Amino acid sequence: MSMIDNVQNLAREWLDSKEVDAIFGLKEQDGYIAPYLFTDVGELSCLVISNQYRLCYTCRPAKENILSLMLQTEPNAKIGVVVRGCEERALIELAKRGQVDLKRIKILGVACSKEDAEECRCEKPYPGNLVLGEKVEGVSGDENVNALLSKSLPERRAFWKHEFSKCIKCYGCRNVCPMCICKDCKMEQELYTETGWLPPGIPMFHFIRFYHISDRCIGCGECEKACPVDIPLLTIFKLLQKDVKDLFDYEAGMDVEQEEPLLTTLDETPMREEVMDVGV
Amino acid sequence: MDKKGFEPKILAFCCNWCAYAGADLAGVSRMQYPPNIRIIRVMCSGRVEPELVVKALSLGTDGVLVLGCHIGDCHYISGNHRTVKRMAILERILGYLGIDPARVKLEWVSAAEGARFAQVVSDFTSKIKELGPIPLQELRP
Repeated sequence: MSMIDNVQNLAREWLDSKEVDAIFGLKEQDGYIAPYLFTDVGELSCLVISNQYRLCYTCRPAKENILSLMLQTEPNAKIGVVVRGCEERALIELAKRGQVDLKRIKILGVACSKEDAEECRCEKPYPGNLVLGEKVEGVSGDENVNALLSKSLPERRAFWKHEFSKCIKCYGCRNVCPMCICKDCKMEQELYTETGWLPPGIPMFHFIRFYHISDRCIGCGECEKACPVDIPLLTIFKLLQKDVKDLFDYEAGMDVEQEEPLLTTLDETPMREEVMDVGV
Repeated sequence: MDKKGFEPKILAFCCNWCAYAGADLAGVSRMQYPPNIRIIRVMCSGRVEPELVVKALSLGTDGVLVLGCHIGDCHYISGNHRTVKRMAILERILGYLGIDPARVKLEWVSAAEGARFAQVVSDFTSKIKELGPIPLQELRP
Protein backbone atom coordinates (compact mmCIF):
# COMPACT_ATOMS: atom_id res chain seq x y z
CA MET A 1 0.00 0.00 0.00
CA SER A 2 1.37 3.35 -0.91
CA MET A 3 2.03 6.17 1.49
CA ILE A 4 -0.96 8.23 0.48
CA ASP A 5 -3.32 5.27 1.00
CA ASN A 6 -2.01 4.92 4.53
CA VAL A 7 -2.59 8.62 5.16
CA GLN A 8 -6.12 8.42 3.79
CA ASN A 9 -6.92 5.36 5.88
CA LEU A 10 -5.63 6.90 9.08
CA ALA A 11 -7.50 10.13 8.36
CA ARG A 12 -10.65 8.08 7.82
CA GLU A 13 -10.10 6.33 11.14
CA TRP A 14 -9.64 9.61 12.98
CA LEU A 15 -12.78 11.07 11.44
CA ASP A 16 -14.87 7.96 12.05
CA SER A 17 -13.84 7.68 15.68
CA LYS A 18 -14.59 11.40 16.18
CA GLU A 19 -11.04 11.85 17.41
CA VAL A 20 -10.95 14.95 15.25
CA ASP A 21 -13.76 17.01 13.81
CA ALA A 22 -12.02 17.58 10.52
CA ILE A 23 -8.88 16.73 8.64
CA PHE A 24 -6.89 19.50 7.03
CA GLY A 25 -4.86 18.60 4.03
CA LEU A 26 -4.46 19.00 0.31
CA LYS A 27 -7.25 18.05 -2.03
CA GLU A 28 -6.81 17.18 -5.65
CA GLN A 29 -9.72 18.07 -7.85
CA ASP A 30 -9.84 18.36 -11.64
CA GLY A 31 -6.08 18.24 -11.72
CA TYR A 32 -5.67 21.15 -9.31
CA ILE A 33 -4.41 20.93 -5.76
CA ALA A 34 -5.56 23.21 -2.98
CA PRO A 35 -5.80 23.19 0.82
CA TYR A 36 -9.06 21.69 1.93
CA LEU A 37 -10.87 20.85 5.14
CA PHE A 38 -12.15 17.31 4.97
CA THR A 39 -15.22 16.69 7.11
CA ASP A 40 -16.83 14.04 4.93
CA VAL A 41 -15.17 10.64 4.96
CA GLY A 42 -16.18 10.05 1.35
CA GLU A 43 -14.02 12.90 0.13
CA LEU A 44 -10.86 11.54 1.67
CA SER A 45 -9.95 9.70 -1.51
CA CYS A 46 -9.01 13.12 -2.95
CA LEU A 47 -6.51 13.74 -0.11
CA VAL A 48 -2.99 14.04 -1.52
CA ILE A 49 0.48 15.06 -0.46
CA SER A 50 2.21 17.35 -2.89
CA ASN A 51 5.68 18.75 -2.88
CA GLN A 52 4.47 21.84 -4.69
CA TYR A 53 2.26 22.86 -1.82
CA ARG A 54 4.47 22.80 1.20
CA LEU A 55 3.52 24.77 4.28
CA CYS A 56 0.31 25.99 2.75
CA TYR A 57 -1.32 25.82 6.18
CA THR A 58 0.98 28.36 7.64
CA CYS A 59 2.07 30.91 5.06
CA ARG A 60 -0.13 33.83 5.92
CA PRO A 61 0.39 37.06 7.82
CA ALA A 62 -0.40 37.38 11.51
CA LYS A 63 -3.50 35.63 12.74
CA GLU A 64 -4.55 34.92 9.20
CA ASN A 65 -3.03 31.56 8.47
CA ILE A 66 -5.69 29.15 7.39
CA LEU A 67 -5.51 27.06 10.53
CA SER A 68 -5.97 29.90 12.97
CA LEU A 69 -8.80 31.39 10.91
CA MET A 70 -10.50 28.03 10.98
CA LEU A 71 -10.08 27.68 14.71
CA GLN A 72 -11.43 31.20 15.19
CA THR A 73 -14.71 30.30 13.54
CA GLU A 74 -14.91 26.91 15.28
CA PRO A 75 -13.13 27.57 18.56
CA ASN A 76 -13.85 24.16 20.06
CA ALA A 77 -13.08 22.05 17.04
CA LYS A 78 -10.13 19.71 16.95
CA ILE A 79 -8.49 19.48 13.59
CA GLY A 80 -6.20 16.78 12.31
CA VAL A 81 -3.48 18.19 10.10
CA VAL A 82 -1.40 16.23 7.62
CA VAL A 83 2.13 17.56 8.07
CA ARG A 84 5.65 16.85 6.94
CA GLY A 85 8.75 17.69 8.93
CA CYS A 86 9.01 21.31 7.87
CA GLU A 87 5.32 21.91 8.38
CA GLU A 88 5.42 20.54 11.89
CA ARG A 89 8.36 22.75 12.76
CA ALA A 90 6.45 25.71 11.35
CA LEU A 91 3.42 24.88 13.48
CA ILE A 92 5.56 24.64 16.61
CA GLU A 93 7.20 28.00 15.95
CA LEU A 94 3.83 29.57 15.20
CA ALA A 95 2.40 28.13 18.42
CA LYS A 96 5.27 29.71 20.36
CA ARG A 97 4.21 33.05 18.99
CA GLY A 98 0.54 32.52 19.75
CA GLN A 99 -0.48 32.12 16.11
CA VAL A 100 -1.99 28.64 16.38
CA ASP A 101 -3.16 26.56 19.32
CA LEU A 102 -1.52 23.15 19.31
CA LYS A 103 -4.12 21.83 21.77
CA ARG A 104 -6.69 22.07 19.00
CA ILE A 105 -4.50 20.33 16.48
CA LYS A 106 -3.77 16.66 16.11
CA ILE A 107 -0.70 16.14 14.03
CA LEU A 108 -0.66 13.46 11.38
CA GLY A 109 3.06 13.40 10.77
CA VAL A 110 4.26 11.95 7.50
CA ALA A 111 7.89 11.24 6.64
CA CYS A 112 9.30 12.48 3.35
CA SER A 113 11.07 10.21 0.90
CA LYS A 114 14.80 10.40 0.25
CA GLU A 115 14.15 12.04 -3.14
CA ASP A 116 11.94 14.69 -1.58
CA ALA A 117 14.55 15.42 1.06
CA GLU A 118 17.21 15.83 -1.59
CA GLU A 119 15.01 18.06 -3.70
CA CYS A 120 14.43 20.36 -0.70
CA ARG A 121 18.01 20.01 0.65
CA CYS A 122 16.19 19.19 3.87
CA GLU A 123 18.24 18.27 6.92
CA LYS A 124 15.37 16.78 8.87
CA PRO A 125 12.74 15.39 6.49
CA TYR A 126 10.51 13.86 9.15
CA PRO A 127 8.27 15.34 11.86
CA GLY A 128 8.95 14.73 15.55
CA ASN A 129 5.44 13.40 15.79
CA LEU A 130 5.92 10.74 13.14
CA VAL A 131 2.78 8.71 12.56
CA LEU A 132 3.30 7.26 9.10
CA GLY A 133 6.31 6.37 7.01
CA GLU A 134 9.94 5.58 7.59
CA LYS A 135 12.45 8.14 8.80
CA VAL A 136 15.09 8.82 6.20
CA GLU A 137 18.28 10.67 6.95
CA GLY A 138 18.32 14.26 5.81
CA VAL A 139 20.85 15.83 3.53
CA SER A 140 24.05 16.65 5.35
CA GLY A 141 26.30 19.38 4.08
CA ASP A 142 25.16 21.87 1.53
CA GLU A 143 27.04 22.81 -1.65
CA ASN A 144 25.99 26.46 -1.56
CA VAL A 145 26.98 26.80 2.09
CA ASN A 146 30.39 25.26 1.51
CA ALA A 147 30.92 27.41 -1.58
CA LEU A 148 30.13 30.55 0.38
CA LEU A 149 32.36 29.59 3.29
CA SER A 150 35.31 28.97 1.00
CA LYS A 151 35.10 32.51 -0.34
CA SER A 152 37.12 35.41 1.07
CA LEU A 153 35.31 38.53 2.30
CA PRO A 154 35.75 40.49 -0.98
CA GLU A 155 34.58 37.47 -2.96
CA ARG A 156 31.51 37.17 -0.76
CA ARG A 157 30.74 40.84 -1.33
CA ALA A 158 31.03 40.38 -5.08
CA PHE A 159 28.86 37.28 -4.92
CA TRP A 160 26.07 38.94 -2.97
CA LYS A 161 26.30 42.07 -5.04
CA HIS A 162 25.64 39.96 -8.09
CA GLU A 163 22.80 38.06 -6.41
CA PHE A 164 21.06 40.99 -4.72
CA SER A 165 21.29 43.14 -7.85
CA LYS A 166 18.82 40.75 -9.44
CA CYS A 167 16.21 41.40 -6.75
CA ILE A 168 12.97 42.87 -8.10
CA LYS A 169 11.58 43.57 -4.63
CA CYS A 170 8.57 41.34 -5.13
CA TYR A 171 8.50 40.46 -1.42
CA GLY A 172 7.92 36.87 -2.45
CA CYS A 173 10.44 35.57 0.09
CA ARG A 174 8.65 37.36 2.87
CA ASN A 175 5.12 36.54 1.76
CA VAL A 176 5.79 32.85 1.48
CA CYS A 177 7.74 32.56 4.73
CA PRO A 178 5.76 30.75 7.42
CA MET A 179 7.74 32.64 10.05
CA CYS A 180 7.17 36.16 8.66
CA ILE A 181 4.09 36.90 10.73
CA CYS A 182 4.38 40.63 11.47
CA LYS A 183 1.63 42.86 10.18
CA ASP A 184 3.93 45.85 9.93
CA CYS A 185 7.05 44.79 8.09
CA LYS A 186 10.38 46.49 8.44
CA MET A 187 11.11 45.65 4.84
CA GLU A 188 8.43 48.17 3.89
CA GLN A 189 9.60 50.96 6.17
CA GLU A 190 10.91 54.02 4.42
CA LEU A 191 13.74 54.24 6.97
CA TYR A 192 15.25 51.01 5.70
CA THR A 193 13.86 50.49 2.22
CA GLU A 194 13.62 53.47 -0.05
CA THR A 195 10.64 53.37 -2.36
CA GLY A 196 11.08 53.93 -6.06
CA TRP A 197 14.41 52.15 -6.40
CA LEU A 198 15.44 48.81 -7.80
CA PRO A 199 17.19 46.79 -6.69
CA PRO A 200 16.38 47.53 -3.04
CA GLY A 201 19.21 48.45 -0.67
CA ILE A 202 22.15 46.09 -0.77
CA PRO A 203 22.50 44.42 1.69
CA MET A 204 19.89 46.16 3.84
CA PHE A 205 16.74 44.76 2.26
CA HIS A 206 17.74 41.13 2.58
CA PHE A 207 19.59 41.69 5.82
CA ILE A 208 16.31 42.55 7.52
CA ARG A 209 14.94 39.10 6.79
CA PHE A 210 18.20 37.34 7.58
CA TYR A 211 18.24 38.92 11.00
CA HIS A 212 14.56 38.67 11.83
CA ILE A 213 14.23 35.04 10.85
CA SER A 214 17.68 34.04 12.16
CA ASP A 215 16.45 32.34 15.34
CA ARG A 216 13.21 30.99 13.95
CA CYS A 217 14.10 29.71 10.49
CA ILE A 218 12.92 26.14 10.09
CA GLY A 219 14.90 25.61 6.93
CA CYS A 220 11.97 24.90 4.64
CA GLY A 221 13.57 26.84 1.81
CA GLU A 222 10.30 28.29 0.61
CA CYS A 223 11.89 31.74 0.25
CA GLU A 224 14.46 30.43 -2.15
CA LYS A 225 11.88 28.48 -4.15
CA ALA A 226 9.58 31.49 -4.32
CA CYS A 227 12.32 33.82 -5.53
CA PRO A 228 11.73 34.58 -9.21
CA VAL A 229 15.37 35.51 -9.75
CA ASP A 230 16.88 32.60 -7.79
CA ILE A 231 18.72 34.41 -5.01
CA PRO A 232 20.22 31.65 -2.81
CA LEU A 233 18.65 32.88 0.42
CA LEU A 234 18.64 29.47 2.09
CA THR A 235 22.45 29.52 2.12
CA ILE A 236 22.56 32.19 4.80
CA PHE A 237 19.60 30.79 6.69
CA LYS A 238 21.28 27.41 6.92
CA LEU A 239 24.43 29.04 8.28
CA LEU A 240 22.38 31.02 10.77
CA GLN A 241 20.52 27.94 11.96
CA LYS A 242 23.88 26.46 12.81
CA ASP A 243 25.06 29.69 14.46
CA VAL A 244 21.96 29.94 16.61
CA LYS A 245 22.57 26.37 17.74
CA ASP A 246 26.22 27.14 18.53
CA LEU A 247 25.55 30.45 20.26
CA PHE A 248 22.34 29.78 22.15
CA ASP A 249 21.91 26.01 21.95
CA TYR A 250 18.55 26.52 20.30
CA GLU A 251 16.90 24.81 17.38
CA ALA A 252 13.77 26.23 15.84
CA GLY A 253 10.71 24.03 15.62
CA MET A 254 11.90 21.33 18.01
CA ASP A 255 10.45 22.11 21.41
CA VAL A 256 7.35 24.21 21.89
CA GLU A 257 8.40 24.99 25.48
CA GLN A 258 11.80 26.43 24.60
CA GLU A 259 11.73 30.21 24.27
CA GLU A 260 13.35 31.80 21.27
CA PRO A 261 16.82 33.02 22.29
CA LEU A 262 16.48 36.62 21.11
CA LEU A 263 13.56 37.04 23.50
CA THR A 264 15.25 35.68 26.59
CA THR A 265 17.90 37.11 28.89
CA LEU A 266 21.36 35.60 29.05
CA ASP A 267 20.23 33.11 31.69
CA GLU A 268 17.27 32.26 29.51
CA THR A 269 14.57 33.96 31.54
CA PRO A 270 11.81 34.92 29.15
CA MET A 271 11.33 38.60 28.40
CA ARG A 272 8.09 37.86 26.66
CA GLU A 273 5.91 39.83 29.06
CA GLU A 274 7.73 43.02 28.21
CA VAL A 275 7.24 42.23 24.56
CA MET A 276 3.53 41.67 25.03
CA ASP A 277 3.18 45.01 26.82
CA VAL A 278 4.62 46.84 23.88
CA GLY A 279 3.11 44.84 21.10
CA VAL A 280 -0.50 44.22 22.05
CA MET B 1 40.89 56.94 -0.80
CA ASP B 2 44.10 55.20 0.11
CA LYS B 3 44.69 53.85 3.57
CA LYS B 4 47.38 56.37 4.30
CA GLY B 5 45.97 59.47 5.86
CA PHE B 6 42.60 57.79 6.01
CA GLU B 7 40.38 59.28 8.70
CA PRO B 8 37.50 56.92 9.33
CA LYS B 9 33.99 57.95 10.18
CA ILE B 10 32.89 56.07 13.25
CA LEU B 11 29.46 56.02 14.77
CA ALA B 12 28.98 55.26 18.46
CA PHE B 13 25.60 54.39 19.88
CA CYS B 14 25.87 55.21 23.59
CA CYS B 15 23.27 54.28 26.14
CA ASN B 16 21.94 57.18 28.13
CA TRP B 17 22.71 55.77 31.58
CA CYS B 18 26.22 54.36 31.34
CA ALA B 19 28.16 54.86 28.15
CA TYR B 20 26.96 58.39 27.43
CA ALA B 21 27.77 59.40 31.00
CA GLY B 22 31.13 57.65 30.55
CA ALA B 23 31.76 59.72 27.43
CA ASP B 24 30.76 62.80 29.36
CA LEU B 25 33.22 61.92 32.10
CA ALA B 26 35.97 61.40 29.53
CA GLY B 27 35.15 64.86 28.25
CA VAL B 28 35.12 66.72 31.54
CA SER B 29 38.28 64.87 32.61
CA ARG B 30 39.90 66.17 29.39
CA MET B 31 40.96 62.73 28.28
CA GLN B 32 42.30 62.50 24.76
CA TYR B 33 40.62 60.29 22.20
CA PRO B 34 40.38 60.41 18.40
CA PRO B 35 37.85 62.84 17.01
CA ASN B 36 36.59 60.32 14.47
CA ILE B 37 33.58 59.25 16.45
CA ARG B 38 30.10 60.69 16.23
CA ILE B 39 27.96 59.82 19.21
CA ILE B 40 24.27 59.05 19.01
CA ARG B 41 22.64 58.79 22.38
CA VAL B 42 20.02 56.10 22.79
CA MET B 43 18.09 55.33 25.94
CA CYS B 44 19.42 51.78 26.08
CA SER B 45 21.82 49.73 24.02
CA GLY B 46 18.85 47.39 23.59
CA ARG B 47 17.35 50.10 21.41
CA VAL B 48 20.04 49.58 18.80
CA GLU B 49 18.46 47.27 16.30
CA PRO B 50 20.94 45.64 13.93
CA GLU B 51 19.21 47.33 10.99
CA LEU B 52 20.44 50.66 12.34
CA VAL B 53 24.01 49.40 12.32
CA VAL B 54 23.68 48.09 8.77
CA LYS B 55 22.06 51.35 7.72
CA ALA B 56 24.97 53.30 9.17
CA LEU B 57 27.46 51.05 7.39
CA SER B 58 25.66 51.26 4.07
CA LEU B 59 25.58 55.05 4.31
CA GLY B 60 29.36 55.06 4.45
CA THR B 61 30.21 54.82 8.13
CA ASP B 62 33.44 52.89 8.41
CA GLY B 63 32.75 51.38 11.82
CA VAL B 64 30.00 51.25 14.40
CA LEU B 65 30.49 51.06 18.16
CA VAL B 66 27.64 50.05 20.40
CA LEU B 67 28.32 51.00 23.99
CA GLY B 68 26.11 50.04 26.90
CA CYS B 69 26.06 49.28 30.59
CA HIS B 70 27.86 46.25 31.95
CA ILE B 71 25.74 43.13 32.17
CA GLY B 72 23.71 43.36 35.37
CA ASP B 73 23.88 47.15 35.49
CA CYS B 74 21.34 47.88 32.78
CA HIS B 75 18.94 50.62 33.78
CA TYR B 76 16.19 48.54 32.19
CA ILE B 77 17.46 45.36 33.85
CA SER B 78 17.74 43.16 30.76
CA GLY B 79 18.07 45.59 27.85
CA ASN B 80 21.73 44.83 27.26
CA HIS B 81 21.06 41.09 27.36
CA ARG B 82 19.20 41.63 24.14
CA THR B 83 21.98 43.68 22.66
CA VAL B 84 24.64 41.07 23.32
CA LYS B 85 22.57 38.35 21.66
CA ARG B 86 21.57 40.31 18.62
CA MET B 87 25.06 41.71 18.08
CA ALA B 88 26.39 38.15 17.96
CA ILE B 89 23.92 37.32 15.19
CA LEU B 90 24.65 40.60 13.42
CA GLU B 91 28.37 39.88 13.32
CA ARG B 92 27.79 36.46 11.80
CA ILE B 93 25.48 37.82 9.11
CA LEU B 94 27.92 40.61 8.24
CA GLY B 95 30.64 38.01 7.85
CA TYR B 96 28.53 35.94 5.46
CA LEU B 97 27.72 39.04 3.42
CA GLY B 98 31.42 39.82 3.12
CA ILE B 99 31.68 42.72 5.55
CA ASP B 100 34.39 42.38 8.17
CA PRO B 101 32.60 41.79 11.51
CA ALA B 102 35.37 43.76 13.22
CA ARG B 103 33.75 46.93 11.88
CA VAL B 104 31.05 46.48 14.49
CA LYS B 105 31.89 46.30 18.14
CA LEU B 106 29.92 45.98 21.32
CA GLU B 107 31.57 47.21 24.50
CA TRP B 108 30.42 47.89 28.03
CA VAL B 109 31.35 51.27 29.48
CA SER B 110 29.98 52.38 32.83
CA ALA B 111 29.33 55.97 33.87
CA ALA B 112 32.50 55.90 35.98
CA GLU B 113 34.73 54.61 33.20
CA GLY B 114 35.72 57.74 31.33
CA ALA B 115 39.23 56.40 30.82
CA ARG B 116 37.83 53.14 29.48
CA PHE B 117 35.63 55.06 27.05
CA ALA B 118 38.66 56.91 25.70
CA GLN B 119 40.57 53.63 25.46
CA VAL B 120 37.77 51.80 23.64
CA VAL B 121 37.38 54.63 21.16
CA SER B 122 41.14 54.87 20.52
CA ASP B 123 41.49 51.11 20.03
CA PHE B 124 38.50 50.90 17.75
CA THR B 125 39.60 53.88 15.68
CA SER B 126 43.05 52.43 15.08
CA LYS B 127 41.45 49.09 14.18
CA ILE B 128 39.19 50.75 11.61
CA LYS B 129 42.15 52.73 10.23
CA GLU B 130 43.85 49.39 9.64
CA LEU B 131 40.79 47.98 7.90
CA GLY B 132 40.46 50.99 5.63
CA PRO B 133 37.33 52.58 4.18
CA ILE B 134 34.14 50.54 4.23
CA PRO B 135 33.90 48.60 0.97
CA LEU B 136 30.12 48.68 0.94
CA GLN B 137 30.02 51.10 -1.96
CA GLU B 138 30.92 48.22 -4.21
CA LEU B 139 27.75 46.54 -3.07
CA ARG B 140 25.82 49.36 -4.71
CA PRO B 141 25.11 48.38 -8.28
